[in-house]
Amino acid sequence: MTKIKTLSAALIAAALIAPVASASTLTVTLEDIKKTKGTVQLGVFDESGYETGEAVNGANVTIDEATETVTIEGLAPGFYGIKMFHDVNDDGEMNTNPFGMPTEPYAFSNNAKGRFGPAKWDAAKFEVTADGAVQTISIN
Amino acid sequence: MSLSLSRRHFLTAGAASTAIVGLGLTAGSASTSSGMPDWHIGYQTAPAEGFAPKDLRLVYGKAPKGLSGSLYRNGPAQFLYGEDDYASHWFDGDGMVQRVAIGDGRAVHSGKFVKTHKREFEQAHSMFAAPGFGTHGRPEFPVTGPDDVNAANTSVLMVNGELLALWEAGSAVSMDAETLATNGPKVWRDDLAAMPFLAHPKVEPDGTVWNLAIAGRRIGVYRIGVDGQLREFNLLDIGKAAYIHDWAMTDRHLVIMVQPWINEALRPPVVEGFEWRPEEGFQFLIVDKDDFSKRRWAQGPARAFYHTGAAWEDADGRIHIDAALYKEPVLGADGGAAQIRGEWSGRDGTFESNLTEIIIPRSGDAFYNETGLDGDFPQVDPRRHGLDRELTALVAGAAPTHPGATALSVHNWKTGKTDTFDFGRSRMVEEFLFVPKPGRTSERESWLVGPVINLKTKTTDICVFDVANVSDGPVCIWRADYAWPLGFHGTWA
Repeated sequence: MTKIKTLSAALIAAALIAPVASASTLTVTLEDIKKTKGTVQLGVFDESGYETGEAVNGANVTIDEATETVTIEGLAPGFYGIKMFHDVNDDGEMNTNPFGMPTEPYAFSNNAKGRFGPAKWDAAKFEVTADGAVQTISIN
Repeated sequence: MSLSLSRRHFLTAGAASTAIVGLGLTAGSASTSSGMPDWHIGYQTAPAEGFAPKDLRLVYGKAPKGLSGSLYRNGPAQFLYGEDDYASHWFDGDGMVQRVAIGDGRAVHSGKFVKTHKREFEQAHSMFAAPGFGTHGRPEFPVTGPDDVNAANTSVLMVNGELLALWEAGSAVSMDAETLATNGPKVWRDDLAAMPFLAHPKVEPDGTVWNLAIAGRRIGVYRIGVDGQLREFNLLDIGKAAYIHDWAMTDRHLVIMVQPWINEALRPPVVEGFEWRPEEGFQFLIVDKDDFSKRRWAQGPARAFYHTGAAWEDADGRIHIDAALYKEPVLGADGGAAQIRGEWSGRDGTFESNLTEIIIPRSGDAFYNETGLDGDFPQVDPRRHGLDRELTALVAGAAPTHPGATALSVHNWKTGKTDTFDFGRSRMVEEFLFVPKPGRTSERESWLVGPVINLKTKTTDICVFDVANVSDGPVCIWRADYAWPLGFHGTWA
């Protein structure tokens, strides 16, 4: 069953001061969630922040179901990329094994995959228009 | 010490080739109707659906009473898509686990590919795509972790009834020991997901498993109980990114063997990142199994190696390790790329190994007792892994006409003698495993069981020897109606 979640993460200041009239809504559906517990930490980035990790917006999504949907409001039309990981044990971090490989699920917009590293901006970017945007992302 | 010659036997090459040798002509390898040399049968792609269980025929001797269990082996078995899309390297072929179940005088063969992420992607697209040991891979193939490129093709391990297909740079892959169906990557503990699990675990006589995870200079050490549960995991730093394919263990110590063959990149294609630094010598990190803070280093002259037999400690506290050592790495010379295309440029001296006893005193430098025996794939009695023992079995007799070896040898470290059976040029001999005779305790009361590809009959033959009388030839031979690809390593369970 799919549920609409309200945004639990605080919107960053830039989003709050953006004029409401020009702000669009991004709807993200998370699919194939293996463990129905913990939190998905999701960040929305523009091109300049994608590599540096400075999000323009984001959400913490409490996971109760194998599919969850979150809406992120107040985005200016333009190109964005999403990075997320499933904080299964709710310790606030993306856990890794002793050699640095992630041991918790992670994903990128467009279901983009990396090659020896995170997915690149060109593969993960998508457009948010005045009508908004929809992303369906598998996070297994 | 030189290799003692085996006596000729009816199994060696037939009269025609003997006559050619007698005339001083080179006995070149025969060709098949496909235009490939006869030995290429060991490098042909196995059926995608695998081999359904099928009885082998007993073609020689009598099945030994009491021989009961399964020989599991792993090796690359996908070398070609379409007409000419060959794998870039033998080591990058998808693993296929072969099982020969022996009991009540019967031997039944079955085999299945390990269903890895790499295999499923490449099968779906009918092409090689994943980067690997000798393969660049296609840019569109995503790599989000080591198990995306895991070929699961190097060895197998049975722990508490669970069959594991092993590679060296990714997770062990769990399989059903009966059906050979793939369950997926093995996670020993949640925080160790996607950690590498080396293809040469060391098993104590009581079934306790020790193994390594390698990432350059960082080494993880697993200790797994007989119940299959991880007991502990520790980290070591060996100071440099030496290539570690195998290692050694006594009853009290782990010996990490740091050959001066360095690979800092560890990025596919791995084969391009190797650097030989003989000036750095061959270093040994000795770690107390019960207290990882108790460690020491020893050093000996530079050698390269792939495989050890096992290690043991004598009354004076000296550590002995038997290993097939090379003067320098042989990987680059042969490459493993040509053979799967049916090409082979012959041998030169750089291919010669030297079965060596490495002796590490309580203090001071390591030194080597070299047998002069050119062979590899050393194996020991599993009842004595880590303990004082006499025997090492290994594949020997480098064939002059084709890749691989033609003989099985057993070296006795106490007498210094080597007992050999040479099948002749029409065979490719693979790793043989010790199988203890039931109810017996002596090291010499074991069989050796392994496959031999027969180039004349184009079959894989499962041969059984008595370890005490190897030069007498096989006790019995079971023959398949077909050959399956050459494998690397196996286990008996």
